[in-house]
Amino acid sequence: MGELSGAEDPLYRAVARLAQRGPFVEVLAEAATGLSVRFDGHTTSFQSPARLRGAVFRAWTGSGWAEVSVSGLDTDSLRFAEGAIERALAHRPARESPPGVSSTTRLEKSTPTPRPMREMGEEELGSLARDVFSWTNGIPDIRETQVQLSWRENERLYLNSAAARCYQAICRVRGAVLPIAMENGRVESGRFIHGGVGGREILDALTQESSRRAAEDARNLLRAKEPPAGKLTVLLAPSVTGYFAHESLGHGAEADQFVRDRSYLKPILGQQVGPEILTIVDNGAYPGAWSEIYCDDEGHPAQRTVLVDHGRFIGALHDRDTAAALGALPTGNSRRSDFLSRSFVRMTNTYVEPGDSTFEELVKEARYGVMLESGTGGIEDPQGGQIQLKARMGHLIENGQVTDVVSSMALSGRVLEFLASIRGVSGREDFVLDASSCGKGRTDLLPNSAGGPYLLATAVVGRA
Amino acid sequence: MSLSRPGDAAAFRVADQLAGKEPWEVFGERIRRYEIHLNGGKIEITRGPIALEGYGVRVFRSHDGVTGIGHQASNDFSPEGIREALSDAERGARHASFPSPDVVLPTGHGATGGIVEVLDRGLWEYPMDSLDAFVSALQTAFEGRKQSSLSFGSVRATLSETSICNSSGLRTGYGHTTVDLEVGVKAFGGPEGPAPGEYWVNDSDRRLRPAELGLRVTEWCRYAEDVRRGGPPPTGEMAVVVPPSVLAGILPTVFGGRFTGSARIRQVAPTSGTRLGAEIATIRDDGRIPWAPMSSPVDDEGVPQRRRTLLDHGAVSEILYDSLHAGTFRTNSTGSGFRGLSSGFRTWFRFLRPPLVGPSTITLDPGEGGTDAELVEAARDGIWVQQIGWSSPDPLTGAFGGEIRLAYRIRNGKLAESIRGGTVGGVALAHEGSPSLMTRLEAIGSRVGFSEPVLSPPVLVRPLAVAGE
Repeated sequence: MGELSGAEDPLYRAVARLAQRGPFVEVLAEAATGLSVRFDGHTTSFQSPARLRGAVFRAWTGSGWAEVSVSGLDTDSLRFAEGAIERALAHRPARESPPGVSSTTRLEKSTPTPRPMREMGEEELGSLARDVFSWTNGIPDIRETQVQLSWRENERLYLNSAAARCYQAICRVRGAVLPIAMENGRVESGRFIHGGVGGREILDALTQESSRRAAEDARNLLRAKEPPAGKLTVLLAPSVTGYFAHESLGHGAEADQFVRDRSYLKPILGQQVGPEILTIVDNGAYPGAWSEIYCDDEGHPAQRTVLVDHGRFIGALHDRDTAAALGALPTGNSRRSDFLSRSFVRMTNTYVEPGDSTFEELVKEARYGVMLESGTGGIEDPQGGQIQLKARMGHLIENGQVTDVVSSMALSGRVLEFLASIRGVSGREDFVLDASSCGKGRTDLLPNSAGGPYLLATAVVGRA
Repeated sequence: MSLSRPGDAAAFRVADQLAGKEPWEVFGERIRRYEIHLNGGKIEITRGPIALEGYGVRVFRSHDGVTGIGHQASNDFSPEGIREALSDAERGARHASFPSPDVVLPTGHGATGGIVEVLDRGLWEYPMDSLDAFVSALQTAFEGRKQSSLSFGSVRATLSETSICNSSGLRTGYGHTTVDLEVGVKAFGGPEGPAPGEYWVNDSDRRLRPAELGLRVTEWCRYAEDVRRGGPPPTGEMAVVVPPSVLAGILPTVFGGRFTGSARIRQVAPTSGTRLGAEIATIRDDGRIPWAPMSSPVDDEGVPQRRRTLLDHGAVSEILYDSLHAGTFRTNSTGSGFRGLSSGFRTWFRFLRPPLVGPSTITLDPGEGGTDAELVEAARDGIWVQQIGWSSPDPLTGAFGGEIRLAYRIRNGKLAESIRGGTVGGVALAHEGSPSLMTRLEAIGSRVGFSEPVLSPPVLVRPLAVAGE
């Protein structure tokens, strides 16, 4: 154990004492270390994660869960939290155990890597950032390139009164190259971002080739056409396919929306919603993916959950409460942004499984349409069953060929109609997982990953 | 919670122990947060107090004609904890560089921020009771409604004491409250009707206003019903009326991306006098609007907030600076150094990140377009966009756009049927000579409305690109 060493005994004793006053108590303690550098040719800045440690206690009372967070693991802080939980239990004594399955998992795992980021100090990280920056030097129209390299090791220790003990130290590493092109006052940007759980090997994906390709994207956008508008054949590039998986079946399958009766998917669980070629998965146990976790914040191990199996919608994501309410088992998807935030049912790595078409076959099949590339985000409407996806750029598809570059676009539509329109999914050679973040509502951001291969469908597209 | 005695404020306690080299700055926060989360109309979970006290230390070290800046945040106020945070900041500063030979920090002498109303006294004194009363009023406002209900919601009240001090002698602080309201309103018709529709409210305010909930809930329910009934828009370029609720998702990002000292360093800031908007457009940055979440007596470096004109009748006037960027260009800070801008959440954990330069509340001066009905009449044929799912403006290119969550068709100068789905978008702010939302402003309404962080009337833009079936 790293930053949390020394905290386990007092946390364990607090849980043991509180367990004598109520049927179930748990605590999650958190600390982080890391370093990031940002270099753009004008400025270099370094930032370490805050020296912020704390814990959240949760206990089952007679009227539901009571939670107290403290930003400190010292004796006074823990005593304050313990006292507050004691008062909640005294005020609303619990007669029964909480609903659902209490974790009994015992796990201790740290990110395995042959090249730990901890060995890379400011000097070395800064030097690498300058090297990456230099790869776009001399490219016409490129006015500036921003390089961002970061790593963050997040430690979480979970203990509960059912004897679970989960310690995980996860190191997330991310590199980003953002070239900016300018011509006659018009500004456009390209980007290459790669991240995952691991060590320095993650940054090996930043190459001269990937950097220069991002710079060429920025240059091409200076002369891009406006995208076509209306209902069109669309070919989603892997990053946009990922946003589709995340926003449509991902958010829609978070079972807290089922319990709230605000998911359009709830009534169609078990039904065919798409073609045979479509399989969508959430997988917190995906080795090395950006949102890999070893267990969730209720102590349940991360797992692979199939949401759509060959077109049939079969699965949902659960925490203990939603699993209990809907007669299911927890799927390892209860997550907190940090020890000060509440837990929600959240995705991890959500993606479309590879299909059996080639990219060339999909372009030929599309014949006329638009390819959406470089996804920048999306938003879902679990109640109305609509999604919005954004792409920073794209290409026209004309007569079965990829032709001119077009500027940024938004895709909008009803998920079930979009699913029904899917006509092809490309193979494993195109599969990519991104390194992004997701909120629940406007807040509670978490590391999230989404991805897939190329996907051919029909949707409304417009300028954005 | 009572306000701390001056000597107890977080930043001052740290500053009193700093024995490091100058210059330095400490930003401290003492925060209590209270939350009520709703599942349907019922309380799902009550949280609080969530207590957090912390500080961010920033040091500035000149070397080779540039300044190295280091920052570290911590919640450890012990002498050892402060030493460790300072050591981290010093290490970062040794390897960092910013293109300014030195930095001039505010002294706190001369002009002060004065009083800006940013603290809800009732909420400050009785946070949980106030929050309970607000949620009760919210639940009551939905009672008896047969076609709509609360789908989900949360109210989060944050009570903060901000304190700032630096090695130039500045010692200042203020208390403030913020209320974040997130509500989903569901409308459901008869079995023969369309599927339920939902309208989302995301509101940030400095105070609780339970007395206004009755009227607001009635409006939200009407919007939810209109979402339920809405159909797709036409495809094409057309007149679009854009109210402040939509401008709030666009203007701060695009003006923040181009009208700042950091944009000037990167040579993407417009030069003074450049014409980027229609003659009728005057855009300002105003950090002193009462009760606005971005308002405060001073910015996060301790410089008084002011009102600045960014675009004067369509022409570029001023750009915004914090202390760092002001130093680079040998000018003065405009009181525009804010923490938390990069994370998008200003009310929580501000001490974790160093300040960036950016806007406060963006305002658009009222025009002669008249009432909402007169703007619709002037549009003749087009749409009124009430809500975009996520307009995700690009701070560099100015492009924006997204899914229409709710709009209304304008036919023959009157509002007609509701629209749900499709997209609307374009470029909000372009380079000189290139068309954009700002240059295509045909009329600006005469009555302003506040939608955090924008104070503006609705505007008529002709044309914008709309895509539907």
